[in-house]
Amino acid sequence: MSAVLKTVNLVKIYSGGAVPVPAVRGVDLEVGEGEFVAVMGPSGSGKSTLVHMLGGLDARTSGEIWLDGRRVDTLSESAWALLRRRKIGFVFQFFNLVATMTVADNVELPALLAGASAKDARERREYLLGVLNLTERADAAPGQLSGGEQQRVALARALANKPSLLLADEPTGNLDSRNTRDVLRLLGEVHRDGQTIVMVTHDARVGSLADRVVSLLDGQIVDDGRITRRRPSARAGAGEVIDLR
Amino acid sequence: MSTYRAGSRWIRADLRARRGQAVLTVLAVAGIVAALITAATLLEDGTNPWRGLFDQTNGAHLWIHTKDRPLTAALGGIDGVTEVAGPYRSAPVTVTRDGRKSPAALRAMPVTLPQVAHPVVTEGGWLTPAQPDGVVVERSFARELGLTLGSPVTATALSGSRHVLYVRGLADSAEQGFYPEWPPGLVWVLPEKLNQVEPKFARSEWVTGLRLADPEATQFAAQRVVVMLEEEVQRVFTWREVRAAMELDNRLLGTLLALFGVVGMVAAALALANAAGGRVLGQLRDLATLKSMGFTRRQIAGLLLVEHGALGLLGIGLGLLAGWLILTLVLGTPSVAPVPLLATTAGTSLVVLVAVGLPAWRGGRTPPIPAAPASPPRGRLSRLARLAFLVRLPPALVLGTRDAFTRRVPAMLTLVGLAVPMMMITIALGFWTTLDNFLAHPEQVGQHAQLTVRPGKLPADAAERIVGDDRDVVRVFPGAEVNALVPGQARSIRVRALGGSATPYPFPVVEGRMYADTGEAVAGQGLLDLLKVRIGDRVWLTVGGTPLIVRIVGRTVEPDLDGEVLSLGLDSLAAKDAVPPQFYGLELREGADPAAVRGRLLASSGEELEVRRAVNPAERLVIIRVIIVALVTVLALIGLANLLTASALGLRDHALDLAVLKAMGLTPRQVMATLVTGTGLLVVLGVVAGTAAGASVVTGLIDLQGHTSGVGAGIGRPPSPLTLGTAMVIAIGAALAVALIPARRAARARVPVTAR
Repeated sequence: MSAVLKTVNLVKIYSGGAVPVPAVRGVDLEVGEGEFVAVMGPSGSGKSTLVHMLGGLDARTSGEIWLDGRRVDTLSESAWALLRRRKIGFVFQFFNLVATMTVADNVELPALLAGASAKDARERREYLLGVLNLTERADAAPGQLSGGEQQRVALARALANKPSLLLADEPTGNLDSRNTRDVLRLLGEVHRDGQTIVMVTHDARVGSLADRVVSLLDGQIVDDGRITRRRPSARAGAGEVIDLR
Repeated sequence: MSTYRAGSRWIRADLRARRGQAVLTVLAVAGIVAALITAATLLEDGTNPWRGLFDQTNGAHLWIHTKDRPLTAALGGIDGVTEVAGPYRSAPVTVTRDGRKSPAALRAMPVTLPQVAHPVVTEGGWLTPAQPDGVVVERSFARELGLTLGSPVTATALSGSRHVLYVRGLADSAEQGFYPEWPPGLVWVLPEKLNQVEPKFARSEWVTGLRLADPEATQFAAQRVVVMLEEEVQRVFTWREVRAAMELDNRLLGTLLALFGVVGMVAAALALANAAGGRVLGQLRDLATLKSMGFTRRQIAGLLLVEHGALGLLGIGLGLLAGWLILTLVLGTPSVAPVPLLATTAGTSLVVLVAVGLPAWRGGRTPPIPAAPASPPRGRLSRLARLAFLVRLPPALVLGTRDAFTRRVPAMLTLVGLAVPMMMITIALGFWTTLDNFLAHPEQVGQHAQLTVRPGKLPADAAERIVGDDRDVVRVFPGAEVNALVPGQARSIRVRALGGSATPYPFPVVEGRMYADTGEAVAGQGLLDLLKVRIGDRVWLTVGGTPLIVRIVGRTVEPDLDGEVLSLGLDSLAAKDAVPPQFYGLELREGADPAAVRGRLLASSGEELEVRRAVNPAERLVIIRVIIVALVTVLALIGLANLLTASALGLRDHALDLAVLKAMGLTPRQVMATLVTGTGLLVVLGVVAGTAAGASVVTGLIDLQGHTSGVGAGIGRPPSPLTLGTAMVIAIGAALAVALIPARRAARARVPVTAR
């Protein structure tokens, strides 16, 4: 399994205030292709900072980031932007849909930005909204959608360019349990199709969906464990009733 | 290409979301640009009809009126003179048309048009021996008298003999200004006919035009002519005076429009910057999202620049169109000069791009993490808010006061953005009041006498008796107007004698004192500037060869002839010019109807008297009022655009606070009051500051305009406190009403659950 993402001794220190605040202190992380990694930890453990650095939204203080075998931490802001267009999809806690654009336009925007023709972008959007069960909401404004629906649109937008890496920052942090279940089911489906995902969450139930849980505390990895998924199979016996999905 | 497609989607969506504001921006910019284009074209020489007429007629630069026929060869020999027009014989007559008598000069011209200074026939044909009583009338004179081809013209010579002539053609000329600003009107006849109408050569003069190689050398040539012809010279004038006479109102309107256009452009630029900046602040999260999707910093800045710049440029385009329509349809300008058009377009485009460039650059620098809160700096009460606390204002007012200044730059932009339009509105009201003052107090612009009576064929004492007997006539001022030659300047000025030196006509003297003795005179600003003299100085003039030496003791407000008028008592003139008086100025009883008096005088004299009403400058300048209304509308639009930005920004900044305020127990009404106070405070400050600034400069500004146009300082009137108060109340009231609607909606809305 080749590494889609690799970090070497990644450090982030916020030096804006009087005292420098270290947020991430030497993280070494390797994410293989098709892997679903949950980054967990309490508030202020640096998990959001980590995922922002992985997507180039925040600059690292020191260390290395490798994406698809290419070193990317040295890229300029605009080079990062160009990289994001093709390789990285983001899902945020507060959905962050462009309020003035329709659902369809929100989803088509990244594809258009990456250079797809209007026709290709529309086809990709129709496909994604169809998969996410949102076809009939295509012309609605984001404000008219429920939280769960908005997050599904955000997910569709993140997947518009078939990114190598999907970064999700507390994707369910703002949703009720039913919508949480919907969004997580979708993430699981996307993952089954081979999508590499790094998801930040502080919710253990959400984290347990991943293949692997990385625990962060005070900016350092304190635990990195692979969850051995018990596939539901013919041999499944008693005690295998609980399934989050 | 890819960004173009993605960006255009975003821009379209954003513009759709704020359609009203976008339209407002476009309209405001369009209005200002239209004003600027019109101003530039009016001020540019190209719109002055003189330029075209001079070229068409191959005009002469210098015109000399002499008693006897001058020697053409001698005049042609002067350095720099290339060609000589004339000399043509010219006789003064009175043209009667529908009972109205108008002064005219009957000019003898040959059947074949001369090379230099030839009238250009616009309608009908030129003089021909086949129709000896046919005349060609100068176009503006014909228009004023309502003469068309074939109309009969009754010309009365000085001897009193009447001759009926027929209009054969209408022609343009660059020899003198338009009628009635430049009397007498021009009528061309065949020399033989003129000899018939006015056989006495002593009652006529000779007119000669000189075309020069270098127009700038006119002054020099004029000096030479005056020295050469000495006593012979009656009047001399140059192309400069003709040009000035033709552009009279264009210049004033152009200056006015330029003033409002330039300041308005500053206000519009502020409004644009404010709108773009406010929008960017409101969109920080969207911009961050775009960046997380892969928009680069430069692309975001470009996107914003294109979106907001396009609105401004669209406004400029519409403004160009509107300006062109105004110029061609309303003002009837034949062509729009390209240079000011291009300069205005380029200048305003640059201003627009700079105004939106800054917020766009700021937007491009948005950090790409959408979660980062873009809240205003907070945690501190402004000084004003602390003051509000001290005087125990209601909590909504205190909170609103705090909000007003949380964002300093937008607050200042809003304040200035409202103050500048309000200042210009105050100035516009000042112009309005000044015009009203002209109408209400014509005596302040030298129109104490509302009627002017010329005796016509009646003997002077009979005329004087008739007008003196009318019950509404309080005082009668005998008067005369003559042209005087200024030897040093080699040009003519108007000398107006009215009333005696001891019983002077009440000229509106604003500096120095009224003349009280013979040999003393008052002058308009234009004359003082022309002769480069000051009050207290002595001037030497010659009136028809007779020297006239007067001391200027005061300055009057002089709306006629660019202020180049000398006013004095009738007894200061030589008897040959003053007796009998050419006309009588009538001071009417307070409240008397000039039209009724005119009717009575005409009736009692058997239609022999020629009675004219004074034309108030305000009546001529009535178009200024139209301009003022249009400009106030545009300025109000600019103010409104600023207000919407401020209100939208206020709402956005306080979306979170609203929940907190409600949780704290503020009623929806108090929440609304908080929001309205936030924008309302800026509005009140801006409006008050703007009005104060406007009121303090308006008088000086109008006087400055008066000074440069020759009328002279002393005409400016600030708007009355009542007018100013009303304007302020309307402005603030309208602003609060506009701010109230979104505030009300926000206050009524359910407390938002999610964060921004």
